[in-house]
Formats: sequence, structure tokens, C-alpha cells
Amino acid sequence: SSGINAEYGGMDDYVAEFERKRKNSKDTPVAILAIHVLNDFVSKSNVGTLQQLLEQLKELSRQLKATAGSSTTSVASGCDLFVRFITLSRGQNAPSSEIDILECKGFDPVRKFLVDRGNLFMKRLKDSRRKIAQLAYPFISDGVTVLTVNMSRVVLEILMKAHEKAKKFKVLVTESEEGPLMVKKLNDQGIQATLILDASIGFVMERVSFVLVGAVGVVENGGLINKLGTYPVAVMARSLNKPFYVAVESFKFYRNYPLSQLDLPNDAKYENAEDTKHPEVDFTPPKYINKLFTDLGVLTPSAVSDELIKLYI
Amino acid sequence: AVVSTQSTGVDSRPDLSGVSSCERLTAAGIPCSYVYINSSTYIMKKVTKVMLAADALLANGYVLGPVGTAMMGLIANTYNKPVIVCCETYKFCERVQTDSILYNELADPDSMLKTLNAEESPVAGWRESPNTRLVNLVYDTTPPALVSIVITEIAELPCSSAPVVLRRGAVKM
Repeated sequence: SSGINAEYGGMDDYVAEFERKRKNSKDTPVAILAIHVLNDFVSKSNVGTLQQLLEQLKELSRQLKATAGSSTTSVASGCDLFVRFITLSRGQNAPSSEIDILECKGFDPVRKFLVDRGNLFMKRLKDSRRKIAQLAYPFISDGVTVLTVNMSRVVLEILMKAHEKAKKFKVLVTESEEGPLMVKKLNDQGIQATLILDASIGFVMERVSFVLVGAVGVVENGGLINKLGTYPVAVMARSLNKPFYVAVESFKFYRNYPLSQLDLPNDAKYENAEDTKHPEVDFTPPKYINKLFTDLGVLTPSAVSDELIKLYI
Repeated sequence: AVVSTQSTGVDSRPDLSGVSSCERLTAAGIPCSYVYINSSTYIMKKVTKVMLAADALLANGYVLGPVGTAMMGLIANTYNKPVIVCCETYKFCERVQTDSILYNELADPDSMLKTLNAEESPVAGWRESPNTRLVNLVYDTTPPALVSIVITEIAELPCSSAPVVLRRGAVKM
């Protein structure tokens, strides 16, 4: 196995770069940083065949995933989607300026094609939160009370956009782990936000207009993986007929199909392998979710699998 | 990996096709219990997952299976057990159907006369009686809301995504 590592060479540099980026940019999703690193790797790689490159990308993705901690699912899905996207060539239907990836002689035009696709993917990624905010803010009308769980940068962006458009609304944030941080950020923007105990969601739900949460990952059947405590909120919302919305970027679409809470992979549930007493995340089945706001549009849970099928099959 | 499983085969008259499945499972070393469909509510509490086979997957996501499938799906849902439908993609069909009456097939009615003990069935003379008919339905339809996952040879999907596979299949060909 040391022979294989020798081939892969400076992969440790890329993993170190990934760790460095994570320390420096707390605001950017971890998955986007991982995709940055992969894109870098593609442009600087010196392999001669596509197969070799894909193998190396898979190995690098695996290493990044291993250091990602609680963002394992989004890094896994993001890296997977990146590789899928850059190798998806339109072939005969491409405009004349695009090359047919199968017809090239030598690897350099192919590498250029992959790098261009990678840059396009990065550009679309950067835009994803803004696109989601654009789609979602009309759902916040004057006088609504929004309930959200824990800290979510996507939800924050949506609420900031609605505030920017001079909507008057209130936000309730469950304490969870980073709830206070979310409340602080909202209050800093001038949005009225209140911190509530996780145990009080039953008490407040009758006053809530709708629930809007972010996501760690979205699975194949449209179900949601999010911070522990999201599932009870969803069940409570369904019980009182309150809409339950999820705001999620498309790189978080995860190729997994859990049928129950225990079906979630261990590295998604726990931050580190030793501390397996309490999981970090829980799984909300698709029947509790009304709509998903994604950069691919406003989707129903069943449309998520349609999108995944389009990408993977 | 060896996972320890136990299975329960649910069978229904008149075909009793579950017998051969149970025989094959026990021959493979998997402990298998055999029950009639009448007792499915009794065993459903103890079961963790329900696996059903399909004869076809329709374009609106409904599962066309051997009669009794819909009943198992409904009972499994009541007890909150996941329902897994196993179906190859060649069984995906453009037809749309929401109930079992619109299109169905009738099998041999006389096979319903077979009783478990050797006695003659009370309706043995059904052909002579003007008021008695024996209806041996072959298929029934299960709505997609009752199915947790459909496993095909190319993917695992939610039941409502069956039309997507049909579309993709057509594009590929």
C-alpha cells in the first residue's frame, strides 16, 4: 500500500491545505472548501489518463471526508457531485466550441475540459446560497413567525434577504448547540429573534407560521439529515399542520437511503469514532417535509430523487 | 459480512407459493417462520422490515403485485415498518392504474375449492348455484405512499420516482 501512496504523492499537501482553509474560513461550508481543493488538484495534476485521475480524486475525497468531522455527509456528497459534474460531457449536443471528451488525442485537452467544468461548478456553487435566498424570501410575508433549528448559514441568508426587502417578521431559534450564535447574528442584522428551549417546541408551535431549517444532507428519498432535534420539530409541525421547509444547497444531496434512524452511517452520526453516546444528527423522513428550497429550484421531496437520478444514472 | 437474520414468510391460498420460498431459505441456512396471511397483524409487531416482490411498477408509482401485497403494505405501515419492494427495471410499465378493479386477471376458480383438511369444500357445487361465484384475483395494486423504497438492479429509489426511470430508460435507448 505504500507503493500506491507513492503514486499519489503530494496528496497530503492537499489535505493540509483543506485543514488550513477550514481554520481560516468559518463562514464557507466545509464541502465547498473540499471542492476547492479537488478543483485545485485537477488543474495541477500531471497524470496521463482519465481513469488515473478519477482514482486519485476518489482517494483524495476519501481522505478529505475522513478529516471532515461532523460535515462528513456534505463533503462526501459534494466531492461525489464534483467528480460527476466535471466528467459529464454533452458529446454530440455540445456547442461547436466544446470538445467531445471521447474524441481527444492526448490528455491535455481533456484536462482543460475538466478544469473548465470544475470552474463552472465552483461558480455555480458560490451562487447557490444567493439563489436559494432569492427563491425562498417570498415565502416570508409580513407578520409571520418563523421557527428554525440551530445555526444555519443558508437560513440566515434567506432571513437577511427578506429583511432587506423590508418584511416584518419574527424568528424563534431552538437552543440546540449553536442556537445562541444564530440569534446573535440575526439580532445584529436588526431581525427580531428569540432563543427558545428545545423542550418548548410543543409550547410555541401553535404560534409559528412555518418552520424553516437548513440541512447537513438530503438523502435519496428527499429525507433530511440535520442537527439532532430536527425530527421532533418536524413531527410537531406536521401534527399542528404547520409547513416544514428545508433550505439546502444541491451539493448536499447525499447518495444514501436510510429507512430508519439507525440506518445513518456511523461517520455521519458521530463527530469522532470514540464518542458514540449521543448522535450529532437525526433523520427526518420525507413525509414530514413540505418543500425544499434549493439552487435547482423549489422541490418536493420526491423531486430530490429525480434530480439525483438525473445526475447519477 | 454475515448478518444474522430471521425471516417470516407470509403465504396465502390457493397458490401457497410461499412454501417453496421458505424451503429455499431454510436450505440456505436462514431460519424461516411460515404464517398464513390471516395472521400477518400478529407477526407484524415482531418484524423489523417487510420485503415484497412486484409483478410491475406502474407509471404513477403504484405497485402491481400478487394479490395480498397491498394488504401487507397497509399493515406494515400501520405498525410503522419499512416496506421494501424488489423489482427489476424491465417490470417498469407505462400503464397507470389506481385500483385493482380497473385491470386484473382471474385464475382458476376451482383451485379455491382445495381445503386444508380432506373435506369437500361447502361451495363445491358453485357452478350449479345461481347465487355463488368464485373470484380468484391474481393482482392487486399498492399505492406509492405505503412503500418506503424500491430496489432495482440499477438504483434504489422512492416509489414515486418510477416514471423518472422510465423516462431515463427511453432516453438511453
